[in-house]
Amino acid sequence: MEKDATLDAKGLMCPMPIVQLAKKIKELKSGQVLELLADDVGAKEDVPAWCSRTGHQLVGTEEEGKLLRFYIRIK
Amino acid sequence: MTEKMCMVVSEGTFDKAMMPLIMGTTAAATGTEVHVFYTFFGTKLVTKKANPKLPGMWRLFTGMFVKKMKGVGIGNYNEFMKQAMDLGVNFYACSTTMNLMGVKESDLLPGVKVLGAASFLKLASESKTTLFIG
Repeated sequence: MEKDATLDAKGLMCPMPIVQLAKKIKELKSGQVLELLADDVGAKEDVPAWCSRTGHQLVGTEEEGKLLRFYIRIK
Repeated sequence: MTEKMCMVVSEGTFDKAMMPLIMGTTAAATGTEVHVFYTFFGTKLVTKKANPKLPGMWRLFTGMFVKKMKGVGIGNYNEFMKQAMDLGVNFYACSTTMNLMGVKESDLLPGVKVLGAASFLKLASESKTTLFIG
């Protein structure tokens, strides 16, 4: 999937992927797509929940073994 | 209007210290205004001398927990506290407990405000979520 930036949150556990994500989002412009890499099991539910609460759009999710890839379009 | 969330922390052990920071940083990262009110044994968590340990026999394993948390990006208590403050989480010490426990305003971490019950209840009544950690 096309992306404008990547945030590697592998090895980080809750709440750090979300905390880093909120920080990273501020560097991006509306409409841009951020790829988030995470391997915390909690992120599977947390990232969609964060998106629905903040209004950023989760446009794709991929799973590769333990690795999760999220694609988030900035609102 | 921004959504609000309140927490009350009444214990000063490592587990009770970390929970409001995990919830608080997550809520702040979601755009929620967060207020954490420390009372009784929780009050020492917002002082400069804060160095929480796990309760009871677990106390001996605190260092191991901290090491594990560092490994997953959380860092030690003081680093995590600073991160929460940078995200805009508001911290308050209960004025009555400060008196009871001999905590002076100058003992508090910079940025921690002193608050009474009435002010906290006002914040809580405006909040969608209020958690008690104790």
